[in-house]
Order: sequence, then C-alpha cells, then structure tokens
Amino acid sequence: MAALLDPPLLRRLEGLALQVRRSVSGQMGGERRSNARGRSVEFADFRSYSPGDDFRLIDWNAYARLDRFMLRLFVAEQELPLSIFVDLSGSMDWGRPNKAATARRLAGAIAYVALAALDRVRLTVFAAGPTSGGAPYRGRRAVAELFSRLQSFPAGGPTDYARLVWPIARQRPGMTVLISDGLGDSPIEPAIAALGSARQEGAVLQLLAPQELAPDWNGDARLRDAETEVEREFTLTPATRAAYVGALARRTQEIERAAHRRGLRFACLSTDQPIEDMVFQALRRLGLLR
Amino acid sequence: MTFLAPAAAFFALTLPAIVALYFLRIRRPTRVVPALNLWPDQVRDRQANVPWQRLRFSWLLLLQLLAAAVLVAAAMQPVLSAGTSLARHSVVLLDVSASMQARDVQPTRLDEAKKEVGAIIDQLGPQDRMTLVAVGPVPRIVASVVGDRDALHRALDELGASNGSADLSSALTLAAGLVRPGDDARGYLFSDGIVGPIRTDTSSSLPFPVEYHPIGVSGENIGLTSLVVRTSAQSRAAYLHVQNFGQQARTFSLEWRADGKLVDVRQLTLASGVAQDLALPVPSGATVVSAHIDAGDVFSLDDTVTAVARAPSTFRVLLVTPGNVFLQQALALRADLQLDVVAPADYKSSAPYAMSIFDRFSPPGLAPGLPPTLPNGPFISIDPPPGSPLAGGAAIGVGRVRATDAGDPLLTNVDLNDVHIARSQDLRNDTFGRVLITSLQTPLVLVRDEPFRQVVFGFDLHESDLPLRIAFPILVQNLSEWILPPSVPSHSFHPDEPVTIVPETGATSVTVVRPDGSRRALAGGAVATFGETDLTGLYTVEQTVAGGTNRSWFTVNLFSDQVSQLKPADRITLPPYNNAVAVNAVHRGQLEIWPWIALGALGLVVLEWLAFHRGL
Repeated sequence: MAALLDPPLLRRLEGLALQVRRSVSGQMGGERRSNARGRSVEFADFRSYSPGDDFRLIDWNAYARLDRFMLRLFVAEQELPLSIFVDLSGSMDWGRPNKAATARRLAGAIAYVALAALDRVRLTVFAAGPTSGGAPYRGRRAVAELFSRLQSFPAGGPTDYARLVWPIARQRPGMTVLISDGLGDSPIEPAIAALGSARQEGAVLQLLAPQELAPDWNGDARLRDAETEVEREFTLTPATRAAYVGALARRTQEIERAAHRRGLRFACLSTDQPIEDMVFQALRRLGLLR
Repeated sequence: MTFLAPAAAFFALTLPAIVALYFLRIRRPTRVVPALNLWPDQVRDRQANVPWQRLRFSWLLLLQLLAAAVLVAAAMQPVLSAGTSLARHSVVLLDVSASMQARDVQPTRLDEAKKEVGAIIDQLGPQDRMTLVAVGPVPRIVASVVGDRDALHRALDELGASNGSADLSSALTLAAGLVRPGDDARGYLFSDGIVGPIRTDTSSSLPFPVEYHPIGVSGENIGLTSLVVRTSAQSRAAYLHVQNFGQQARTFSLEWRADGKLVDVRQLTLASGVAQDLALPVPSGATVVSAHIDAGDVFSLDDTVTAVARAPSTFRVLLVTPGNVFLQQALALRADLQLDVVAPADYKSSAPYAMSIFDRFSPPGLAPGLPPTLPNGPFISIDPPPGSPLAGGAAIGVGRVRATDAGDPLLTNVDLNDVHIARSQDLRNDTFGRVLITSLQTPLVLVRDEPFRQVVFGFDLHESDLPLRIAFPILVQNLSEWILPPSVPSHSFHPDEPVTIVPETGATSVTVVRPDGSRRALAGGAVATFGETDLTGLYTVEQTVAGGTNRSWFTVNLFSDQVSQLKPADRITLPPYNNAVAVNAVHRGQLEIWPWIALGALGLVVLEWLAFHRGL
C-alpha cells in the first residue's frame, strides 16, 4: 500500500469525491442520491398506502386531514457503483515513467477517493482478456486489499478491447473509469461503445509516455512491437518522425471523439506528470472529481 | 582540358566504396515500441537489409555519387586553355608613371593595366614564373621570378601610380638582367606608351620578345604646363601656360591664388590643340602663387600648379682682385649675389662670406710669417700667386683648350672652341681635384666637392680671350650656381627629381616639409640632396639659424607636355629581340576551373543534406 500511494497523498485524497452528473442506484446505502425512495432526511413525495407498506411511514397528520393513509416518501441515499478498468497489456509496460505503474497508481487514487466515500469499487484489469480484481470493495477497510490486488497483476500480453464488451455491458448503471493507452492491434471503440450502452457515466483516461509522444532517438533501428513482438526495419528521419507523431495524434483524437460521442469524459495524460497533478488538476478539471 | 593533378584520380575509388556501403548490411539497434502500427511503413532501403542484395535506386545514393565524382574532378585541378601566349618566365613591365593616373578608362589606366596583369597571373601554370617590374621614374622589381600566384597578386595590389615619368629604358635593362641565356622568357609591357625615349645603350637587343599592351583610349586633357614668376624693376608678374591637348574645344574656369587666397577667376575657352599664355598679377609680399583649372578632364595632376613668388635671398660674395672688370660683370649678372670687391691690400679674413673669389691673390697666413692658408669655405681661386698652397708649377704655353667631359653639367652651354690662352701654371701634378677644362699641355681649371665646392683657374684671365667669349659669363654662372645654388630655386622641379639644398651659414638643422605636411630632417651643415619629391606642390625648407627659423620654398610640378598630351601610343618602338639568346617556346595560358567545380560539389553536398532530411 505504501508503495503504491504515499500516506500524505492519501490524506489529501480524502478531501475529494467522485462527481456524478445523474443519480445512482446502488444495492446498499451510501452517500449518493438514488432514484429509489428510501430512508433519509430528505423528503421526496407522498403516495397512498398499500397493504404491506411500512406503516411507520404513514403520515398521521395527513390521515387526520384527508382521512386517507398517506405514506411520506424520502430520497434514498445509496452507494455509487464504480468500476475501474486498468489496461495492463504489453504496450502499457513501457516508457519512463512506466505506463503500467502510473496506471496502477492512478487507479488506486481514484479507488481510494471512492472507498473513502463509502462507494463500491469493482476493479478489473485487462490485457488479452479481462481479469476480475475480486469482489467489489467497500469502505476504507478494503483499501489495502484493493491496492494489493492492483499491484499483484503483472503487465504483458496483447490487448483485446473486444473482450471488455461483455464485462462492461453486464454492469449496473454507475460510474466506470477506463485507464488505457488506447494502443494495440484491436480498436478500443467497441469497449467505449459498450460503456455508453451500459449507461455508464465515467471517463476514458489515455496514458502515454513522453518517449512515445516525442521519440528521443534517431537513425536506423529495428522496431519491435511491445505486445506482438513483431519486428520491422525502420529509419527515423524528420519525415518519418512527423508521420509517427501524426499517426499517434490521430489515434488520440479518434479515442476522444468516440468517448465524447458516448457522453464520456476523456483526458490524455503523460506519465511524466506527477500523480498529484493528474488527480488534483487534470481529473478535477475533467469533472471526474470534485 | 588538361589536369594539373591527375594523380588525384586515385580518389575516384571512393565512388565504388560508396556503392559498396549501400550493399553492406547495416547493424540496426532493436527498439521496443508500444504500437508498431503507428510507425509509418517507410523503411528506406537506402542501404541493404541483407548482405549483397540487389541495389535499389536512391536519390541519396545518386547525389552522393555525384558529389564524390565532382570532388574528385576538382581535386584533379582541371584547367582550360586560355587565350594568352605564355613563356615559362613572364616578365611583366607595368607602367606606374603619372599618365597612368588618367581616368579615360575606369577607374584609372593603372587599375585597368593591373586587371590585365592579374588575368595573366591567373593563367600561370604550375611550372610558370613571373617577374613584375614597376616602370616608374626609378624602375623597381616588385616580384622576381615568382610562381606563387597569391604572392604575385599581393605584389600587384600594392602597386600605386607615381607622379613621375616612366623610365622604360632602365626598366628594360633591369628586366634583361633577370633573364639568363637559354631561358624561355617573354615580356609584356602594360603602358599607355607615354614613356621616356629608349636610350641608345638599351636599344642593342633584348633577350626576350616584348608584347606591348596599350592602355587608355583618350587624350582629352587640358593641362597647365608652365608657371614662372618674373620680377622686374616695376612689378612682379606670373606667366602661365595652359594648353588644350584634346580634340574638342573646352570652356573652363581658372582660379588664381596667392598664399591660398583667391586673387582672380577667369573663364577660358580653348580650341583643340590651342595653347594660351596668361600674365597674372602677383601681389607684393606673396610667398606662393598657384593656379587651378576645373576642366573636368580625365587627368588631374596637371590641373594645379604652384610657384614661389618671393624674391630669393642674397648671398654675400667677396671678390679680392687687383682689378678684373670681366669677372665683376659676370658675377653681377646673378641678382642674388651681393658682391664686395676689395683690393688685396684691404683683405680681412674675418668677414663671413658665402663664397670668396681670389683673383691673383692668396690669403695671407693666420699670423705674420706663417705660410698662406686657404679659407675654410667655398672659393674660386684664379691664377694663385707663387707661395699659395694652390699654386702650380712654372707657366707654360697652352695650345687648344677643351673640356675634359663634354657632358659635364658645369660646362652646359659653354663653347670652348674659340677660346685661347697664352700660358698657364703647370697643374699637371696638382692633386686639388678633378679637371674641368684642360689642354694638351696642362690642366687649366680644377674643381672639387670636398670639403667645400672649390675651383682653381691656373691662368690669368687677362692672358686669355675667354672673358671676351660668351662662354665666360655662362661658365661663371654655372660655377657660381654650383657652388652657391639659389636658396630658392628659380624654376620648378619635376616629380622625383632630386633637389640640392645648401644650408645657410650657421644652420644647425634643416627640415623639409612636404606638400602633405610630412617632415623630413636633413643632415645640417652640409649640402644635401633631397629626393622625396614625388608629390606635386609646395615644399618648405626650414632652417634653424641662431635660434631662429628661416624658411625657403621650392615647388614640384608635373610641367610635362609629353605627359599632359595623354594620348596613348598605339605602338612603341622597342629594342629588337635577340632570339639567339633565349628560346621562345610559348604555350597557352591555363585557366583553372577547379574552384567552380568545388563550388558545384559543395552545392551537391547541400542538396544531399536536404534530400536526407526530406526523407528522399
């Protein structure tokens, strides 16, 4: 736990909260407004009594005035189901600072914010396929286990975003954060489309290393794909460098457009950015945290 | 086309080496990238990916091969055959005289000539040598048998025009001395043809042929060719000679100044070839007068002339004689001499005189009883009496009188044909000095320069008909001006002409201030020859006498009709070429083009660099 995030950072994270645009419906009570009616101090509505209703909720003053049994309804406060999908494929195990390590820390920080607010967190790491991070975590007591699980998964292998579609689609409406570099042979768009279909409110966070944003070498090389290990001869010249940078920029734009089309937030983050800046500046600016 | 360094073709091996590099497999470091599909599939197969694969076309390879080929071509130093016929030893005679300052060709004739000489230098081959002679008043060798073209260009660039005339005879003699028998030599004369006449001693033959390259196109010039100041009993006036040497009539203004102040301005119009003499007023008290014309012609050196207007200072001259009217009258012709005539009995040696003339008299000894002593200064002694240190042997009869050297300047215009002398002292054993006038029997007149300029006549003038001849006043004038040159010369000097300066009695320092303000100190107390008269204008001689400064002046002007006429000569009669002395195997000049080829190679390298960065 200490290796993933520092205690001072954790203390600062307790001051943050996930920001949702619409009400949520969880399984257990929490601190979030829910669409359901339940127990809380916030009055919502009246409705007629039906047999089987909790007669403790009958408004006796209304009965005195109207001679009918009316039930006082209150807004239910429920937990926020948060799903975090972390890409730990071979392309993420690259760069200085390492993209996978940064993704773990970023996921840990967002999960900590949720757990501190009694929200339920489900962790899924994926590469060639999704791997469950275990049962949903709830409460601060689960932080240590979540962090431990987050660090236990090794990075490597090819990325298959198509295999994320089913795990995403079967989720209850809630919030989902997808942390990935968006690279790989398979396109990420089906996974983003699945997020939209599953009525998930959330964000797609693209993580890139500074060395892939601006290659720091020149000349001839034999390029090897980090995921497929396919190799190819190449010569980096100003012309080919510009072509690569352009292709990467187009890929980023495609992911951003796909996310926005599904009503999701999008941010492209560089791993040379401190985790504090990512959380307290980038994600707050994005509206994911408040 | 020939190559100066054909061995450099060895470097052509770099071409197959470049191609071989494209054949050889290069070693590429492996780099892991997150997503290979983002990297463009533009593996430039400039170099082989497998050993000895088939060579593919590449612009880069083509440019590299071209650049290497051009560089090899430049290293071989190709030369083209140029138009000039060159010998192994080229002797260039470059006229740097005053007329080469003319601007009828831009910027000047000298610059045009230097440009043509520079073109010949550029055509010199590696085995060729060049000698560069500047033909001025005193010819000088500025580069002697040099093959280094840079050194020749530097020597050429440093040459400037003088204000003097061109002594081509001396230059040819100088150049001929540099060519050894059997040398393959050729001369090139770059001149406007306005040179002094070829002297007889030069015209025998030259060991090499000389090509004359005329410089200049026009003789349009108006020049001031004479300015003299005459003093009469009533007034002083200056006489100026101005002439239009060109082919067109011209109207111009003449400014007349005295001591720098404008006295008169006149508008003059002169037809082609017409000269005009002007009498101009000289204000009393004026030291220097000058005339300047603004003719807008191509030659400015003769547009300004200067003359000294101040009357010359006088010399005190002592004549000790029992009576000699001829001598008195001859000496009185010179206006700057103040003559004191005393009888031998009245002679006192204490009075300072610039010159003493002892006629049949010898100064007595310093004390009674001592032998007579000679005065410590310039003198003329005529028929020294017995007992004098100058006295010769017993008188002998004299026959025909003649000059020892007819060209002696002291005998200029002195005709001795009708001169007869009855008898003279026998001066044959006299060691006084050199003989000026002699006879079959004995020397008659002796002169010497050291310790002072002194003259001895061995005969009594009354025993000769010399005083009755026109030669006598001329001889006296020549001798007196030799002993006592006028402190202010009455005539102008030409540029680079030496000026004899006689210090005044008691002068401790003598300094000459040139027209440009520079000062030259001369050795005081002795007659000095001042040679730095290359600038035209007014020279001031400052002498320190008894704590004060006495000033005198002389002027230097072009005053040369030959130069001012300025028209370049189409041909010059040069001494014949003695082909028995030197071989004449000319070859064509060589024009090196490798710098341009190297420039092209540089362009190709830049192009290759651009192509590399464009990813071609």
